[in-house]
Amino acid sequence: MANYVEMWKDLGMDLETHDALCQVLPTAFGDVYLSQENRPESMDFWDMVVADIHGIRPAELIEAQKNGQKVFGTFCIYVPDEIVIAANGIVTGLCGGSQFWVSGGEKVLPKSTCPLIKASVGARLDRTCPFFRIADMYVGETTCDGKKKAWEILGRDVPMHIMDIPQMKREKDIRKWAEEITDFAAVVEVFTGNEIEPEKLKEAIHIVNEKRKALARVFEARKAKNIPISGKDALLMMQIAFFDDPVRCAQMTNRLADELEQRIQDGASVFPAGTKRIMVTGTPMAIPNWKLHHIIETSGAAVVCEETCTGTRYFERLVDESRETLEEQYQALAERYMGINCACFTPNTGRIEDILRLAKEYNVDGVIDVNLKFCCLYDTEGYTVEAALKEAGIPVLGIETDYDDADAEQLRTRIEAFVEMLG
Amino acid sequence: MILCFWRTRSIREETVFAEQEVREIHYIGIDIGSTCAKVAVINEKNELVWQAVKPTGWSSVEIAEELRLLLKEQGIDVETEPCVATGYGRVSVPYADKTITEITCHARGAAWIHQEQDIAVIDIGGQDTKIIVLEDGRVENFMMNDKCSAGTGRFLEIMANSLALRPNELCELAEKGSGVSISSMCTVFAESEVISLIGKGEAKENIAYGIVESITDKVVGQCRKIDLNGKTICLTGGLCECEYIRKSLEKKLRMPVLTSPLNRYAGAIGAALSVRKSGT
Amino acid sequence: MADSKEKMYYYILFDNYTQGMALQGYLREAKIPSRISPAPRCIQGELGCGMSILFQPEDLERVEACIAQHQAEYHDIVLLENQINPRRNRFC
Repeated sequence: MANYVEMWKDLGMDLETHDALCQVLPTAFGDVYLSQENRPESMDFWDMVVADIHGIRPAELIEAQKNGQKVFGTFCIYVPDEIVIAANGIVTGLCGGSQFWVSGGEKVLPKSTCPLIKASVGARLDRTCPFFRIADMYVGETTCDGKKKAWEILGRDVPMHIMDIPQMKREKDIRKWAEEITDFAAVVEVFTGNEIEPEKLKEAIHIVNEKRKALARVFEARKAKNIPISGKDALLMMQIAFFDDPVRCAQMTNRLADELEQRIQDGASVFPAGTKRIMVTGTPMAIPNWKLHHIIETSGAAVVCEETCTGTRYFERLVDESRETLEEQYQALAERYMGINCACFTPNTGRIEDILRLAKEYNVDGVIDVNLKFCCLYDTEGYTVEAALKEAGIPVLGIETDYDDADAEQLRTRIEAFVEMLG
Repeated sequence: MILCFWRTRSIREETVFAEQEVREIHYIGIDIGSTCAKVAVINEKNELVWQAVKPTGWSSVEIAEELRLLLKEQGIDVETEPCVATGYGRVSVPYADKTITEITCHARGAAWIHQEQDIAVIDIGGQDTKIIVLEDGRVENFMMNDKCSAGTGRFLEIMANSLALRPNELCELAEKGSGVSISSMCTVFAESEVISLIGKGEAKENIAYGIVESITDKVVGQCRKIDLNGKTICLTGGLCECEYIRKSLEKKLRMPVLTSPLNRYAGAIGAALSVRKSGT
Repeated sequence: MADSKEKMYYYILFDNYTQGMALQGYLREAKIPSRISPAPRCIQGELGCGMSILFQPEDLERVEACIAQHQAEYHDIVLLENQINPRRNRFC
């Protein structure tokens, strides 16, 4: 990450502090990713993206801005990318997966805020994330108390639009979310100066659906008996999907899926036969949060599925492409997005059903339910998740952790013991 | 380190056994804990032939070497005999054929010692406390304290230091005390609480009582989060020889809590048994 | 790839990722095992590109031949002792 210094300077970044992050990334990526044997060749693309994660894509976004496109930074998979794309805007994920940014967030947020929020706010305020410098508008949402209040602080520094997420999943809540989407569309139209027309929205829906299908293909391949891709690599693919151009993302992901399908036929695997299959459920893992996956996959087990926002919740179910009018399309979007089973809803029985279904589909030996420290919602729901899994006879290990390295050895002991228990 | 002081006497006593049957295969289990390193050797008849404990000191690698030499003195060569390492320093034993976590090993060791396949193990170690529930001799569920020394051997050791006592002396004294409670869960704060109690002239036994109560409260709190399912409970780890801790746990759990002098070797014994199980 | 300390690896450095991806394509065609790696900081210097290509010393001749055959552009090839340790427990 060297040649982009001028660009980072123009973005007003704190180069010295940012450089500290650039120094640790190669080491961490080497330890976590390059220590793996027999990875799919198609991971080359993602390896390249990570090697210049704050360079290549930010440069593309800046180029797009020069051509009049607007960039929207989002934090939650409930925010519909389709609206932005239909108005010729670009959606990007934002930095929030590293301990590196946490202390910056703690300057303005309580320590007892989840590390994802602290890191996001810290990355913006400390000027160490190019994506947080580039985005023209930030779209927040009301998924949890920590975020709601953090937006008020972040909003002093950046233009923000907040979408009000319902707390329940009744018919009227879905209608309400359709209204929120309609309001968001109006904001995006004004901000971009582009009108959202049914044809354009239809195309945008198609683009994002194709991306979802591609990601789903890779996950489908992970169901195979000989696991063709490590959980870490699949996680990396998911994490980058939040930042990449959706069309290219689908294209590269489909190429990876082709290779994985071939590997299944050839009996090629990243793991020895009989490796225990683990599903991870719970809170999202933003890039470069690879800690848990790495510990699991160096403790004699493989992650075959993530029931998280950086996993199945991101791509399962498609938006109905057959609707013709904007009103119908917004409703279709609301229906698809309201199907995401986030712990911020009550009751959230759909998530339990998802977990039990996925455990079966991916033929898992055990589940690790993880929640980021101070995520009250997932932590509390963990009780229900564990109870349901136990009742179904599926071993489960509950883990609370954050981005810090300090608990790594202890986590390793717990996870190794869990894997021994499965064997 | 002081915790180890309690058991050093047994090392020499046990050496006699090993010499009787030098020719047979030995299964070595090594448990490198944060405070003490334990070694146990079993024979083909699943009998314990030798065990020893040593302070871990500052280096897991060095203590592993020390144990190798100790074994050699017993005529047991780690290069030829199968060996499993466990405990937090398990990766630092170069001659181990395999590593297995202390959770699995404590479970197997406790089941072997108590001859009971359905058992719940409370392992109070130097830096963490684990509750392990066994079903048919297999780990069915477990829980481990978070990264915090409350309710562990380290907590007891630090508190004992501030009272100028050895941990076992503190436990004995605690039985005679009453009335004091230590409210801080954090070891650092609890220590200053203890120091201020000393300053106020509170009787030593009462402070000791408060310290043990704090540990057992924390451990019992952990037990409540896991379904013990009415299983027999046994206490392993460095604190298992602290009779008053056992009694206090028994009282709070309203269930009998078993222990034995061998229980501090549960991890090492479990590791030695695992050699056979895993066919190393 | 092994994690023993003594093991050495070669890193190919580039001025930009287009060069890097082109060469990686040639290496893949020639079935020479290689991986894309962020260039370790100690050898990155003021270079223009964060990506490098990692390969094993035993493949050096084949890599050089492949570069020559395609006249592939690169900045430098550096031999470095193993930087990879999956047990380090240092995450970003």
